[in-house]
Amino acid sequence: MSHHRSLRLCLTGLALALGLSAGALAQSTGAVAPQTYAVKDKNGQLLPAYTIPEDSEMLKHPDAEQILYGQRLLNETQRLLPDRVGAAMNCNSCHVVQGKKPLGAPFINTYNSFPQYNPRSERVMTLEERINGCMIRSMNGKKLPQDSREMQAMVAYMKWLAQDVPHGAQVQIQSSRPIDMSIKPDPVRGRTIYGAQCASCHGANGEGRKDARGNIVFPPLWGDESFNIGAGLARTYKAASFIYDNMPMGVHTKGAWGEGRTLSLQDAVDVAEFFTHMPRPDFPMKDKDWPSGKKPKDARY
Amino acid sequence: MSKRRITPLRALLMAAGLTAGLVIAATWGLAWQRRPEPPAHTDLALDDPALIRQGEYIARTADCIACHTAPGGKPYAGGLAMQTPAGAIYSTNITPDPDTGIGAYDYEAFRNAVKHGIRRDGAALYPAMPYPSYAIMPEADLRALYAYFMKAVAPQRQANAKSTIPWPLNMRWPLIWWQALFAPTRTFQPAPELDANLNRGKYLVEGPGHCGACHTPRGIGFQETALNLQDGDTFLSGALIDGWRAKSLRGEAQGLHSWSQAEIIEFLASGRTNRVAAFGAMADVVSHSTRHMTAEDLGSMAAYLKQLPPAPGKLAAFAPKRDTLTESLLDGTERVRGALLYREHCMSCHRPDGQGVPRIFPALDGNSAIFAHNPQSTIQVTLEGGRMPLDPRADKMAFAMPGFSHLSDQDISEVLSFVRSGWTNQAPAVTPEQVREIRAFLATKAPHIQTGEHQ
Repeated sequence: MSHHRSLRLCLTGLALALGLSAGALAQSTGAVAPQTYAVKDKNGQLLPAYTIPEDSEMLKHPDAEQILYGQRLLNETQRLLPDRVGAAMNCNSCHVVQGKKPLGAPFINTYNSFPQYNPRSERVMTLEERINGCMIRSMNGKKLPQDSREMQAMVAYMKWLAQDVPHGAQVQIQSSRPIDMSIKPDPVRGRTIYGAQCASCHGANGEGRKDARGNIVFPPLWGDESFNIGAGLARTYKAASFIYDNMPMGVHTKGAWGEGRTLSLQDAVDVAEFFTHMPRPDFPMKDKDWPSGKKPKDARY
Repeated sequence: MSKRRITPLRALLMAAGLTAGLVIAATWGLAWQRRPEPPAHTDLALDDPALIRQGEYIARTADCIACHTAPGGKPYAGGLAMQTPAGAIYSTNITPDPDTGIGAYDYEAFRNAVKHGIRRDGAALYPAMPYPSYAIMPEADLRALYAYFMKAVAPQRQANAKSTIPWPLNMRWPLIWWQALFAPTRTFQPAPELDANLNRGKYLVEGPGHCGACHTPRGIGFQETALNLQDGDTFLSGALIDGWRAKSLRGEAQGLHSWSQAEIIEFLASGRTNRVAAFGAMADVVSHSTRHMTAEDLGSMAAYLKQLPPAPGKLAAFAPKRDTLTESLLDGTERVRGALLYREHCMSCHRPDGQGVPRIFPALDGNSAIFAHNPQSTIQVTLEGGRMPLDPRADKMAFAMPGFSHLSDQDISEVLSFVRSGWTNQAPAVTPEQVREIRAFLATKAPHIQTGEHQ
């Protein structure tokens, strides 16, 4: 009898041990906590934290169709607005990962921050005016009427992405990294880096790449189909900031799109100097920028 | 229980003890008389540069370096963890260091280890070492290989790591029986119906290439259920290993049916085609082995693989299916949760048409890694990410996919089910339980041994 009892005890112990380890395993493999960020109001007081919403949340919103359309316009601007967009660019060519990525020019604080003073035009701008600024510069195209379905859909997406953060408050998420403008660019070195780290996707002649249907995969970085000299990305240090944190994409097994930190700050400045200064469309209204003449060091005109 | 009498239990114990004694005695006997091959001549011209070069190429075809080098470790110094159901075992130091490597091996000891899994001290090597495949390598090739290891590989002092397999499963003597059963002494048998080119491919695939080590299913004894096609129709019909699904290399729908011979060559030579990219263990195989092979040898292997018939009971080809998904992703009308997840996390690289970007981002539509019946590889690469190999003759950059382990089991199962049945793909759905299993497997994986931190 004692044999049986000890056997039973043994089995119970084994089962218990297995159960415990299975329990520990289940705990360690549960879903990961969502990405949350602190929110501060104008006076620096903490408000309830912000969580980046996932796209499926859009469908629960009463304005779901408008928000979704806005997101599609931002993702596929050139395909959906061929008459308005002159460049082979989409808004999300720069505002990456649906405008949800820290240091990837996110739209998370956009809706809360407008109207906003714009140093380039030296006046306060509405969000619609600012979007049209991108349309005529980065997209090398035409303005959208402010009350158009398209403009209102883009604004609706940015409003949805802001969630319930009140106007004037800021989600503590960084839009871009300020780059030390005393770093001296070396465009010759930049050309070599471009060939090694960028040309596989953006092409040996900066021409970008399109898919079988002619839709943009990798945007052109210079030439007639690229952004014009009025775009923020045509400025060396703004481009370097984007490159440093977001390029090249798809080279690491971590990060939102396997991006970045392959290049040093110097590399980023060098390659930015090289490609921003390659031939690209002019910006006809350039004379109206910085009316009092206080231009940043890397302004193109 | 007061009287000492022979109860049925006691009889059982005695019988068990007697059997164990017999087994141990027989194993000793077996080990004692293990002489798989006649003694070798030792008139080797080890310093002959041509012989060393030949050996170096043979080491490439046998991919010794992939297993015998830990990530970031010194070449051939061992320490790579291989996960088995009972624990991890570590590859050994096969540099010519006399104390921790194979520097003290004479040719015969070397040949015994490579072809028959017999260590210099007589112990049996774990069959993670593909000696059942290497057994068909000819004497001349073994000699060249020996010359290369002894004369051209840099010695590294790095002691071998102990396995994490617990007692009694870590005992090596039962492996002698395993070897007697499953690792016969044999030579290469060319197939009479195949020409010289195809038979060269057959030899590379069965022998040094040891494709079957991953791609042939294993039996209850962990043995490959067929060492060649004459041996059994499960040969290269696909298997599960290390949480990966090593695809079927047979001519069926989910095997190599969707691959042209030219694509197989391009894949082995550079790790990519316009449609696919190597990942996981196959990325290492391409990096260390196949991309160094001659065009002739790759051509022979591809030709041999491409003529293999479908495995019994497998679907020969998928029924035609029209892609209606691309249009609904482009016009924004696709609203199932899997599609929303795909748009948010996958589409900027893999594109609305699922075609990816040639040689940069693999296609998901029509990619045999995606539409495999078993989703393990797709789950693992989605959780952990993956890195494709680089052959600088073909490409300037190697690309990688980031891991999405921050998504829940439910989300990963939904997006993978969407992808596996999207466009023209026709693979079964993935369940959250399948994702959970791979996540748990990855969490318990033993790490590799890095130089300087061995036991």
